[in-house]
Amino acid sequence: MSKTALNKRRKTAEIKWKSLEENKKPILFFGAATCGNAAGAQETIKAAKKTLKEIGVDADIIEVGCIGPCYLEPLMDIKPPGKPRICFSNVNEEKSEKIIKRFFLKDEIPKLGLVGHFGDNGDYGEDIPRFYDHPMIKPQVRIVLRNCGIIDPSEIDHYLARDGYVALESVLSKPWEETLDLIKQSGLRGRGGAGFPTWKKWKFCRDVESDQKYMICNADEGDPGAFMNRSLIEGDPHAVLEGLVIAAYTIGASKAYIYIRAEYPLAISRLEKAISQMEELGLIGENILGSGFNLEIKIKEGAGAFVCGEETALIASIEGNRGMPRTRPPFPAVAGLWGKPTIINNVETLGTIANIIRRGADWYTDFGTEACKGTKTFSLVGRVRRTGLIEVPMGTTLRKIIFDIGGGLFKPFKAVQTGGPSGGCLSEEFLDMPVDYENLAKVGSIMGSGGIIVLDKDTCVVDLAKYFLKFTQQESCGKCVPCRVGTRHLVNILEKITKGEGELSDLEKLEKLGESIKRSALCGLGQTAPNPVLSTLKYFRDEYLAHIIDKRCPAAVCRDLVVFRIIPEKCTGCQSCVKVCPTGAITGPRSEPHNLDESKCIKCRACYEVCRFDAIAGDAIEIVSGKQE
Amino acid sequence: MANNSKIKLTFNTREVEAPEGVTVLRAAELNDIYIPTLCSHKDLSPFGGCRLCIVEIEGMRGYPLSCSTIADDGMVVLTETEAIREIRTELVQLILSEHPSSCLICKEADECKPFTKTVRKSGVTTGCRYCPNDGQCELQDVVNYLGITELSYPVIYKEHEPERMDPFFDRDYNLCILCGRCIRMCQEVRGTSVLAFNFRGNKTRVGTAFGRNHIEAGCEFCGACINVCPTGALAEKASKWDGIPDGSVIATCPYCAIGCQLELFHKDGWFSKAVPVHDSEVNDGQACLKGRFCMGEVSHHFERARKPMARIDGYWKEQLWDEAIEKAAEKLKDLKPDEFAMLISPDCTNESLFTAQKFVRTVMQSNSIDSTARSSLGGGLPFWERMFQKPIKIQEIKKAKTILAIGLDTRFNFSIIGVEIRKAIKAGARLVTINSRRSNLAQYSHCWLQVEPATEGIMLDALVKSLFNNATDLKKELKLSGVKKEKLADALELLKGQDDLMVIVGPRIFSYTDNADLISSITELSKKDNVSIIPLYYGTNTRGAIDLGAFPEILPGAVFKGDEKTTKKLESAWKVKFPKDDGITIDKIQAGECRPKVLYLVGAVPFAQRPDCDYLIVQDIYEPDFDVDLYLPATSFLESSGTLVNMEGRVQDAPGVEKLPDSVMYGRARPDWWILSQIAKQLDVAGFDYESSDNVLDEISDLADGFPKSGRIHRKMDTLRVETVLPETVPVSAKPRKKSGFLLVMQPGGYSYRGVDITSKVEGLQILNPEEGFHLNSEDAKELGITEGEKLIVTAGDKSGTACARIEDEIPKGAIYLFKPLAFGGLKDRCDLEQLFRLETNPCPVEVKKVGV
Repeated sequence: MSKTALNKRRKTAEIKWKSLEENKKPILFFGAATCGNAAGAQETIKAAKKTLKEIGVDADIIEVGCIGPCYLEPLMDIKPPGKPRICFSNVNEEKSEKIIKRFFLKDEIPKLGLVGHFGDNGDYGEDIPRFYDHPMIKPQVRIVLRNCGIIDPSEIDHYLARDGYVALESVLSKPWEETLDLIKQSGLRGRGGAGFPTWKKWKFCRDVESDQKYMICNADEGDPGAFMNRSLIEGDPHAVLEGLVIAAYTIGASKAYIYIRAEYPLAISRLEKAISQMEELGLIGENILGSGFNLEIKIKEGAGAFVCGEETALIASIEGNRGMPRTRPPFPAVAGLWGKPTIINNVETLGTIANIIRRGADWYTDFGTEACKGTKTFSLVGRVRRTGLIEVPMGTTLRKIIFDIGGGLFKPFKAVQTGGPSGGCLSEEFLDMPVDYENLAKVGSIMGSGGIIVLDKDTCVVDLAKYFLKFTQQESCGKCVPCRVGTRHLVNILEKITKGEGELSDLEKLEKLGESIKRSALCGLGQTAPNPVLSTLKYFRDEYLAHIIDKRCPAAVCRDLVVFRIIPEKCTGCQSCVKVCPTGAITGPRSEPHNLDESKCIKCRACYEVCRFDAIAGDAIEIVSGKQE
Repeated sequence: MANNSKIKLTFNTREVEAPEGVTVLRAAELNDIYIPTLCSHKDLSPFGGCRLCIVEIEGMRGYPLSCSTIADDGMVVLTETEAIREIRTELVQLILSEHPSSCLICKEADECKPFTKTVRKSGVTTGCRYCPNDGQCELQDVVNYLGITELSYPVIYKEHEPERMDPFFDRDYNLCILCGRCIRMCQEVRGTSVLAFNFRGNKTRVGTAFGRNHIEAGCEFCGACINVCPTGALAEKASKWDGIPDGSVIATCPYCAIGCQLELFHKDGWFSKAVPVHDSEVNDGQACLKGRFCMGEVSHHFERARKPMARIDGYWKEQLWDEAIEKAAEKLKDLKPDEFAMLISPDCTNESLFTAQKFVRTVMQSNSIDSTARSSLGGGLPFWERMFQKPIKIQEIKKAKTILAIGLDTRFNFSIIGVEIRKAIKAGARLVTINSRRSNLAQYSHCWLQVEPATEGIMLDALVKSLFNNATDLKKELKLSGVKKEKLADALELLKGQDDLMVIVGPRIFSYTDNADLISSITELSKKDNVSIIPLYYGTNTRGAIDLGAFPEILPGAVFKGDEKTTKKLESAWKVKFPKDDGITIDKIQAGECRPKVLYLVGAVPFAQRPDCDYLIVQDIYEPDFDVDLYLPATSFLESSGTLVNMEGRVQDAPGVEKLPDSVMYGRARPDWWILSQIAKQLDVAGFDYESSDNVLDEISDLADGFPKSGRIHRKMDTLRVETVLPETVPVSAKPRKKSGFLLVMQPGGYSYRGVDITSKVEGLQILNPEEGFHLNSEDAKELGITEGEKLIVTAGDKSGTACARIEDEIPKGAIYLFKPLAFGGLKDRCDLEQLFRLETNPCPVEVKKVGV
């Protein structure tokens, strides 16, 4: 397709988009990314369709990506003709019926689950808030996620209408040096975790002479609790693909791969669809937009190994070999896939590129700190009130992220874990630290790809460290000794401590072994694997000591260190716990305080859960660790 | 990359030189500077798993790995700082926590070790013996180097079941430290990729894909993985508990014409194991299962016949050497030339072959000396002589750009050739194969021309015609060979316009009755300058047998009979009149055309039953399975010395590693040349005063060009170029085509040494048993209603034979493959097939039935 043809198509797309904004008949938007679907979005859509049919309202239905506040899923937006969208939260089947009926039959805006509207102040009067004024949304700066939840990800026209592929067009009309220069000025750093300047990496590859180069998009997002990349691909696949084509052009690659986890089926299908649309419009293939530049994009599904997020392991995996990292040098930029110069960029990095090119480096550098420009997406999860996908400028403090955007915790704050299994656990004293690559590294954690897990006082940090270590140990490729054997010993020692069998010397051992693993492991996985242990040892040493000296788990989590007790004053004698106890440890006649035989108790927590949430029970079971006189 | 420039770098305080482009570790090794490592190996790519080879390099961050950092001019490397030592100690501690370690850190080791000589089954109060490599372990070396005496981590036992189900070597992955050398060896050097890492995290282990056993996984059992294993995880079954060897000698493998250089280790005077010589020119550090694993058992087997025996008054009696020699002399005395024949194995040394033909020609005054090699040299001796006049260089294979392999399967036989072919492919060569059955090379072939059985030659002919004569009408060839036109075009596309062509012909296809096309097209190819041909054949020293005249029609010096000059030279040297008779050949004896009174078999048992003669003398390392009148025990390759000529024409040394046996228990086997000389002396014939094999070699070097004097044996390329007038080859031409039923395809077997089929002696080969039975396709088996191992009866006219069915999908439909042993020693069970072995045509249309139906 030539440039003129693309512009013609964009014109049509703009008309299409306009007709969507100035809709004649009502439109219902549903957040139907993986997070929405998991919350029941598909069922809600079915119910909504049924209700609409029942009441005879002719409305369009559009499935969009994730707009951010996952804790409010499923989200349903109603857009009355010619007016802005109004967003409702936690819309299950029943609720959808109520909202739709009230909206269309009674012509009112129900307060049920109302979040806000997408228009300007006054569009709907005083008592309907703006969606963008929502406390979780307001502090955010949405650059990468600008289209997520707004456009239909399966429609290339929506993307085109919102300035899609404008950046590509401009890049292809200029020599590659200009793009590289622009990215250099923007100060963009790799969003995969290490924060290496993107332009530098590209330059390395560009400078190598080769008949073939490869561009790879790393979508092997494997950190537990991280979903930024998945959401971006599901909500706006073309943004990533546009960045990928631009990057390939700049480094001179004619073949590109997207390495994506097979566990992301929706994202894969969105990518497949987007790629076929690009093919149709000639945005990939031969002589793209008449520039003479050719590019072929292939999707390679990963087989579920965490280590394949590591560059050299990822390359091995694409080559059909076992996903095992290799020693560097040579770096992939010099000798990567099939021995050819290869650049691997993270999904988010690529998703940012087009924005920088469209709006200029100066605009981009307005965001962020001196050393780290722009914004960063995070998946905010854990014991925080408002969980979801967020995007904030670099340098935003953890306090702002957790307490303003996240709305704080239900219980007292204890720690925040950043960077997934490779990251560290930070205590309260770091809440006011601006988040960027250097600051996090300084205090023993990492930015990683952007997972933030908030922990409250009910979390045992020793148990948490053990969880992460078990994860890295199982996901180690088994190649180098420190990672394969070292993490195993770390896990064993942590296991000992959580069982109350720890000794004081174990802490020293953990530290020593952790440090030597960091120093001697082959790849990033091994080098960062001890971080959860080392950081918790640093900031929560008391808790380790409590496990070792007092044989007590302060958070009452470690099973071997807790006992279950019934508080007689609170017990209503409802027998709910007697029914769920699998070993018959709880006995007692109805209406009288029950007895719990500790020798029979296997600490399964069934009674605790039932007593806490049962209406008549009275929260009479407590978990106690150690002597708490 | 040939790069001769040198760089200078400093290790600790020492300034050294190293070739440009090598790693820091290699630079250190070349200068005898020790950097501990467990995963790197000079033949393999850097791995970086053990992390022990870390060093500090000025100007570099952290601790770079010396195995993957390229040495640079002016680099300053520190190999032993306090920090490095600390990390290394920590790493080895981690390795030891997963590896049985009492042999390394036990306080009682010094007192205990001298007494733990063998694996104990009965009660012992001290000593652990769970690792066969105690004392030969690289991990031990590193532990000693670091001075580790106690462990700081609890020991984790991996609980892997030791794997003993495959032949030749055991695997105990509890001892494995996951250095990945075996895997890289299998992938990078051997090109077979049988091994890989399985699972991940701490469950990582070495194994085959999908947990299959090694036989199913396509293992060639070359043993290269064992050679590089730094611990005792991989160990040869036969020698694993031998302990540290006393010493070694370098010898030539006695099992095939490649002539691999092997290091033979010995312990307490006995052969222990054979390991390929690391930088040997012929085999480049590789071997095959025969050389690597089959030596000990063939020579040490309890059935070895070690004493002279004679049939006296119907009784089989032990004899002293004197008695036996006297008996032989008595029987050989005064025989007319046509009353005597000697058949000799092409596995014998040059010295034995030479003495044998001299014995026949001077003592017996006859030309009736023939080598059993004749049976597998299809196309006739002049054809092979022509082949040998062109240089044959195994090491050139890997440099080839285009390779054409005909009827070749290198899994177990000639596996060195397969390794070289895969090296070439890795370097970008194209491979075209012509084969009727799926070979182990099929998966690497860029084009596999699957032809009808026994039509490989027709296909080759078609290729030669198109490539060199621009023939276009190949309808007849395509029809006969059953190859599609498009497929042939593909092959031609790959072969056309190439500057060089490497043609490798497998040994099995020469034996077809109709080999006219094959022979003529190879002959034509051999005339092209840019074509190299490697014709493979069975018989270790077949080329030596031709060079030394162990055939009636050939004289020493590879000259055909009738050459005046040579005859004169021999007559004056031996001081006899040279016999004029045609001599009795093996073919004539097998066909019953000649009946010698006395038949003398020197390491040759080409018969399933006693051949028809009055008196049968067998001189071998095993007694054959039929009645013999006089048995003379010969030495094996381990017990005596000699030289062998490999297919390239190199004269290579084959020294023995054991002493000449001379006791009641181990018998009194003697070298062939010694026995023959004794008989000659007994018969008062002069010229047999040999004291050692060196004396014989000296005489050979006088009479045959290209043979060196003793003590000057060179393993360098030294083609014996003999100018001689060659008689015309007259290949047989017949076209037995299958009409209905099955086609019986007979191929020579490849597992013999002298007169014995070594499958019968080597346990591991018995497990593999690649040659027993009728091999057929699973679909055919289904139609016949038979399963693996069931008995089949195959009938052709009035001849028939029974054997068990072997179902293999490599076999094309409609064909039955049968291996015809070159030596029948130890194969009593194959007497049932004798009639089939004597069929006049090969292949031959046959009827196949299940026994009992």
